[in-house]
Amino acid sequence: MKVSQYTVHSPRTLPEALNILKDATVRPIAGGTDVMVQIKDDLVKETELLNLSYIRDLNYIRDDGDFIRVGALATYSDLIRSRLVNEYSPVLVEAARTVGAVQIQNRGTLAGNVGNASPAGDGLPPLFATGAKIKLQSAASEREVDIGDYFLGVRKTVRQPNELITEVSVRKMKPGDYYFFKKIGLRSANAISLASVAAVLVPAEVLTFKEARIAMGAVAPTVIRAKGAEAAILNCQLTDEKMKEVGRLASEEARPITDIRATAEYRKQAIAGAVYEGLYEIVNGFRSPVNGSGA
Amino acid sequence: MDALDKVTGKIKFFSDMKIEGMLFARVFRSSVAHANIVTLDTAEAERLQGVRAVLTYKDVPGLNAYGAIIPDAPVLGYGKVRFYGEPLALVAADDQETAEKALGLIKAVYEPLPAVHSMDESLKPEAPKLHDRGNIARHALILKGDVDRAFRDAHLTLERTYRTQSQKHMFLEPEAGIAYTDELGNLNILAGGQNPYRDKMQVARSLNISPEKVRVINYPAGGAFGGKDDVTVQIHLALLATKTKRPVKLVWNREESGVGGFHRHPSLITLKTAVSDDGRLLANDSRIYLDTGAYQSFGPTVLDVTIEVINGPYLIPNIRIDANLVYTNNGISSAFRGFGGPQGNFAIESMMDEMAEEMKMDPIDFRLKNLAKSGDIGPFGNSMRNMEGIHEALSRLRNSPLWRLGKELPPKPWIRRGTGVAIAIKGVGFGTIPDYPTAAVELLPQGKIKVLFSNPDYGQGVNTGNAQIVAEALDLPMNEIEVVNADTQYSPDTGSSSASRGTFTSGNALLVACNKMLDRLRMEAALYLESTRDGIEYASGRFWIKGNESKSVSIYDLAKGLRAKGETLKFEGTFEVPRYPEPVKGTLEVPHVVYMYGAMVSSIELNTLTGYLDVKNVDLMADIGNVINPLLATTQCEGGIVQGLGFATSEELVYNQDEKPMNTNYTTYIVPSIADIPRMYVEFIKTYEQYGPYGAKGMAEIPIVPVGASIANALKQASGVRYYQLPLTPGRVLSKLHEQGQG
Ligand SMILES: Cc1cc2nc3c(=O)[nH]c(=O)nc-3n(C[C@H](O)[C@H](O)[C@H](O)COP(=O)(O)OP(=O)(O)OC[C@H]3O[C@@H](n4cnc5c(N)ncnc54)[C@H](O)[C@@H]3O)c2cc1C
Repeated sequence: MKVSQYTVHSPRTLPEALNILKDATVRPIAGGTDVMVQIKDDLVKETELLNLSYIRDLNYIRDDGDFIRVGALATYSDLIRSRLVNEYSPVLVEAARTVGAVQIQNRGTLAGNVGNASPAGDGLPPLFATGAKIKLQSAASEREVDIGDYFLGVRKTVRQPNELITEVSVRKMKPGDYYFFKKIGLRSANAISLASVAAVLVPAEVLTFKEARIAMGAVAPTVIRAKGAEAAILNCQLTDEKMKEVGRLASEEARPITDIRATAEYRKQAIAGAVYEGLYEIVNGFRSPVNGSGA
Repeated sequence: MDALDKVTGKIKFFSDMKIEGMLFARVFRSSVAHANIVTLDTAEAERLQGVRAVLTYKDVPGLNAYGAIIPDAPVLGYGKVRFYGEPLALVAADDQETAEKALGLIKAVYEPLPAVHSMDESLKPEAPKLHDRGNIARHALILKGDVDRAFRDAHLTLERTYRTQSQKHMFLEPEAGIAYTDELGNLNILAGGQNPYRDKMQVARSLNISPEKVRVINYPAGGAFGGKDDVTVQIHLALLATKTKRPVKLVWNREESGVGGFHRHPSLITLKTAVSDDGRLLANDSRIYLDTGAYQSFGPTVLDVTIEVINGPYLIPNIRIDANLVYTNNGISSAFRGFGGPQGNFAIESMMDEMAEEMKMDPIDFRLKNLAKSGDIGPFGNSMRNMEGIHEALSRLRNSPLWRLGKELPPKPWIRRGTGVAIAIKGVGFGTIPDYPTAAVELLPQGKIKVLFSNPDYGQGVNTGNAQIVAEALDLPMNEIEVVNADTQYSPDTGSSSASRGTFTSGNALLVACNKMLDRLRMEAALYLESTRDGIEYASGRFWIKGNESKSVSIYDLAKGLRAKGETLKFEGTFEVPRYPEPVKGTLEVPHVVYMYGAMVSSIELNTLTGYLDVKNVDLMADIGNVINPLLATTQCEGGIVQGLGFATSEELVYNQDEKPMNTNYTTYIVPSIADIPRMYVEFIKTYEQYGPYGAKGMAEIPIVPVGASIANALKQASGVRYYQLPLTPGRVLSKLHEQGQG
């Protein structure tokens, strides 16, 4: 079907939108950077579109105690420009900068990345590494789902057709936390991740860590945590040997596929490398921790 | 000249055009790579409401074949299918959707034949035969001296095999055009192309009509790079417009361009090369295989260029070239910027690097030592001319900061830096093929000069360059020059925009035309000023009597007088492109009289953990003769470098088991993005080509030729591992690093 053949609803308020969504044949569209491509490839089965762009109430990034509340219309560019996000979730900013190119960052939303539920979504590993929550609202109900429980498979989530993602709550990182985001793609911009990894490390003492969360993208049907690698980091000296081992453990947990972009074997090798790179940069002073002062 | 109109969208490309009452065309293509066609049923499609014509091979009145050199590819397939995406039927309908739908109603039944996936397979004796005459479309054997004896006496001999891939042109405007029959019954074809007169000939041949009834316009096109050199949409449009008696538009979509469009010839080249103990090249024995796909298109001349560059610009006393053009079921390979140059260059310049390394010589010194000098006799008995430019280019590169500073240690241990050099040679124009480009200038009494020539400007700027040449020749300001480009009704036949020949051929022909015009005007001025032809002077559009500037007349006033007398104000000029009388046996066009040269240094950073290659800098010192327009020349070089970067690192058309191209759009076919573009430095060595217009040679291809080798050579320096296959994708790089314990 051609774009012009869809019925498009453009409500101004959230209640209106949720009302329209009661009808299950409606597909939400925010920035459209995934939906438009999918329409062209004939992958959108719904015949109606719910255009969210005019719902002002969904366009915000707000400070709320331990969380940054990111409204469903906040784009990557909004995240990159937000002092709050730079201060308390620099790992998300680092990832946002790798999404597509400026044009895509200006249109694409974080909620859309969640909604699209691709394992290669670059906004997602930081959400796993920081512990985010997804708010789902329908005309009748409202609930919050931990990011770790949200995805069921490639393009499969717990979201019901009558629910809208209205907010992504990003848990703030703490001053002193270290982090990295690494993306492996086939070019420097507008590349789909062959593998990606986001990590947040909470220090115990100088360069030893009491908590580690490592999330990997594009190496399984959903973003996954590298639990073995996380465990191996805790409370020990991160020697070169150790960092390589952590990388190896992460790659053992990866279950990538071979496709036209890269082989499974390459993705495994690359993710091991990316994890090592990030750790090395932390240990050798290439990266500063969160300082909580908006730097 | 047309830059502003292009960036503001004022210029309408053919794919933007609408004509009252036009129909929309689509092409039905094979969904198998190799098969006998059992039946092709179009009945249902014909019955669909809104469909105005469905054509098959039966509807081709003339020769059902096209091909720039040998017409061996069916206009519409019959009997046998030889690649996935081969056109079998055409549909024209009232709208795009109906045309699309009609395609779905056409039913082809095939009897599958085993497909030939690669040259290695194609060359096996038991391989299925694609054509009656076998799987080798063309073969040449060229000998000079005695390579075998040289190998026996050599200090060191290396034998290496190199492979390069199929590269797509990825022009922003895919193959597209529009056609209609005018009130006079002439067929007008407006389509992205590179040679309107050859298009015209091929259309007339297939429609079995007089070429006089066909008008082709190729300007403006949104990029071509060789991919529109042979026919794409033109004959199909002509067939449909004739059949339906309506205007018809055909625009391939990106995926269709991927499967149905042309691409660069993959190559498989083995070099056996020998040096003396003091580092002099003694022998080069090359076995060249190019994969031309299902049909020849420009294959023979692409092979010629590989033959021509396979010994570089070096002086090598003993040479053997065994060159083969091989059929496979991989689409159709055709012209692509550089023709076979980048392929051959990757082989010879990788070899030169390895040889220098084995000899413990600096790679630049090694090359300088073996570079031919002016007056030396080249591999084909040709005289090497103007070699000073490339000598200077290479010597200067040695002093470039890039070459000297590339070696500092990077801060992160998994990043390795490397710098690599490569030099290139590429002919301008068609070599020994007779080439008589004709162009014209027309004097408009209202105060303009019209410049008419047919090499299409598809973005490279030949219109501007030629306008400058005419402005210079007539000593007029640029705003008095107008260009009529690539329209067979008005532009004389200047030949194609290809082989870096645009400026050289049309520029020269225009100079002849300008001289004729000035000569004629001078006589007219003599008459008018009551003087003699030697008694008057000319500058800036005016003639005057020597020593008496007050007695003068402008060329435009003279034009009015001439017009009143009924004289033509249009002056044609034809240029004879200098050439050797005969091609080397087995080739069509080897050698050339005029060659461009380039020397390139690339610096890279390799990530040994991910295999990712970050090309940081590319410096190019080029000898393109005198530079007509430095801005255009520089941006052409930058564009060529970036296209070469894609060839070197990321671009590769990949086929699945069924020989269907898998990565046919910008998401999956990886052209460099703006963020991948290295810092580029382009400089032109000051040279002057005596045969060129104002000393110019040509230039569009030289920048792309050495990129692959210079980057692979840099990678060797960075990693210690030599790569013999392009593109250098992260996966390919990393797996070999691991293999060699460097990961
Ligand atoms: C050229 C290009 C480059 C790209 N590069 C990257 C990249 O580098 N990394 C990356 O991760 N992605 C990339 N993408 C994909 C895309 O930009 C991102 O996934 C983006 O986050 C999608 O956001 P959007 O607002 O455009 O979503 P849309 O396209 O509007 O929607 C995406 C999906 O989410 C659903 N959806 C959207 N909003 C909601 C909501 N509020 N509630 C429920 N469902 C919703 C839609 O129905 C749809 O299924 C790229 C896309 C393009 C075209």
